[in-house]
Amino acid sequence: MTNQQTAPASAHLRNVCKFYGPFQALKDVSLDIPPGKVTCLIGPSGSGKSTLLRCINVLEMYDSGEVRIDDQLIGYDSPGGKPMAPRRLREMRREIGMVFQQFNLWPHMTALQNVTEGLERVRGLSRAEAQSRAREALAKVGLADKESNHPSHLSGGQLQRVAIARAIAMEPRIMLFDEPTSALDPELVGEVLGVMKQLAAEGMTMVVVTHEMGFAAHVADRVVFMERGEIVATGSPREVFDAPSDPRLASFLQGYRERNSLDF
Amino acid sequence: MMETLHRYGPDLLTGFGFTLLSWALGTVLGLALGFVIEIARRFGPRALGYPIRAYVEFIRGTPFLVQLFVLYYGGPLIGLRLDALPAGILGLTIYGSAYFTEILRAGFDAVPLGQIEAARAIGFRNTTIVMRIMVPVMMVSALPALVNFAIILTKETVILSMITVPEIMFQTQTMMSETFAFVTPILILALFFWGFIETISRFGRRLERRFTHYLIDRT
Repeated sequence: MTNQQTAPASAHLRNVCKFYGPFQALKDVSLDIPPGKVTCLIGPSGSGKSTLLRCINVLEMYDSGEVRIDDQLIGYDSPGGKPMAPRRLREMRREIGMVFQQFNLWPHMTALQNVTEGLERVRGLSRAEAQSRAREALAKVGLADKESNHPSHLSGGQLQRVAIARAIAMEPRIMLFDEPTSALDPELVGEVLGVMKQLAAEGMTMVVVTHEMGFAAHVADRVVFMERGEIVATGSPREVFDAPSDPRLASFLQGYRERNSLDF
Repeated sequence: MMETLHRYGPDLLTGFGFTLLSWALGTVLGLALGFVIEIARRFGPRALGYPIRAYVEFIRGTPFLVQLFVLYYGGPLIGLRLDALPAGILGLTIYGSAYFTEILRAGFDAVPLGQIEAARAIGFRNTTIVMRIMVPVMMVSALPALVNFAIILTKETVILSMITVPEIMFQTQTMMSETFAFVTPILILALFFWGFIETISRFGRRLERRFTHYLIDRT
C-alpha cells in the first residue's frame, strides 16, 4: 500500500465524452496512460487535447465514460453515477500534479510561498517542513536563489519552473502538462523542457499536451495524435513522426514542418 | 462663542462618539454581511441567486432614510422592537451590505480563473481558495472601492439623527435650536467630517500599499 502511494500511477480513459453545449469536445475517447512513461498529446488547436488532459483531474467534468487513476474512478462515485463527493475528489487530486500554459502562480506570494502553500494547507505539513521541502523542489528546478521573488519579478521560464516545483513538491504520482511552453519566449522554452526531461528520466508518469514536436520526438514514450475530439493515431515517436499511417496525421506533421522548416 | 463651545463641547464629543461607533459597526458588519452574501451567491445553491439579487436591488433602489424608517417604525409591526442606536447600526449594516457585496462580486470576478484552477488542482478546499487566494488577489482591485464606500457610509450616519440616535448631527441640531446660532455649529460639523474622512483615506492608502506591495518594483 505504501509503495502504491508513492509509485507512479497509470491513468485510463474509457469512452469519455465531453460536451460544451451542443459542441462535442471529446468523442468516445479511450486511452491508457502507462505508469512511469511520458505520453504526449499532439494535434491542431481545438482538437480536444487540453480538454482530455483536464478530464484526468476533473478540472473539466466529463459527461459520460470513465476516467480512472490506477483502478480508482475519478469524477463520479460509480460508473454512470453521481458526481463524487468534493472531499474524495480533493484527495484524488493530491496525487495529480498539473502545470498550466499560463503558469497560474499566485501573484501575492513569493516563489517559496507558492510552493509551501499546498504543502501546509493540503498535505498538513508544518511551516518548517513545508519550507524545507519547497526549497528542495525549487533547487531541483534551478531556482534556489529566487525563493523570495514574487511572480512579478520572475521571467516566463522561471515562472513555469516555479509552477513545476509547486506541483512536484506535492509528490504527485502523475503529472499533467497543459502546453507548458506555449506562452514562453522561444529562448526560454529550453529551460522548462530541460526540467521536464529530468522529471521524465526519474520515472514520473507524465501526460504532456504540447506543440513542441522536438520534445515529443525525443522524450515521449508514446505520442497520441488527436483531431476533432478523437484519437486518430497513437504510437511510439518513431511510428508517429517517421511513418505516419493516417493521412490527417501526415498532413498535420507536414504543416508543422513547413512552418518550422526543420526536421526532427 | 467660546462660552457656547464650552457649554456644548461635551455633547458634541458624545455625538462624535456615537457617530464613530455607528459608522465603525455599520461598516464592519455591513462588510461581513456583504461578504457572506457574495459567498452564498458564488458557492451556494443556484436558487439563492434571485432572492439575493432582489435584496441588493431593493436596498440600492431605495433611500437610506426610507429604509431606516421602515426598520425603526415598521419593525415593531413584525415584532422587531429596537432602540434607536441598534436600529441605526442595523440599518447601516443592511444598507452597506448591498453595496459591499457588489464591490466584492466585481473583485472576485476579476481574479484570474487559472489561479483558482491551480489551487483546485492541488486539492485546496473552497474556504482555503477564498481566504488564501481570492481575497488577497481581489483586494488589489477592490480595496479602493471598499474604502470609498466606507467613506460614503460616514456621511450616511447623519441620517441616524432622524430616528433620534444622539450622534453628532443630532447634537448639532440641538445646539442650533437652543442657541439660534447656525454657522458655527454647521462649520464645526463639516470640519469634524473632513478630519474623520481624511483619517480613513490615509488608513485606506496604507492598506492598499500593504495589499499591492508585491507589484511594486523593489529594484
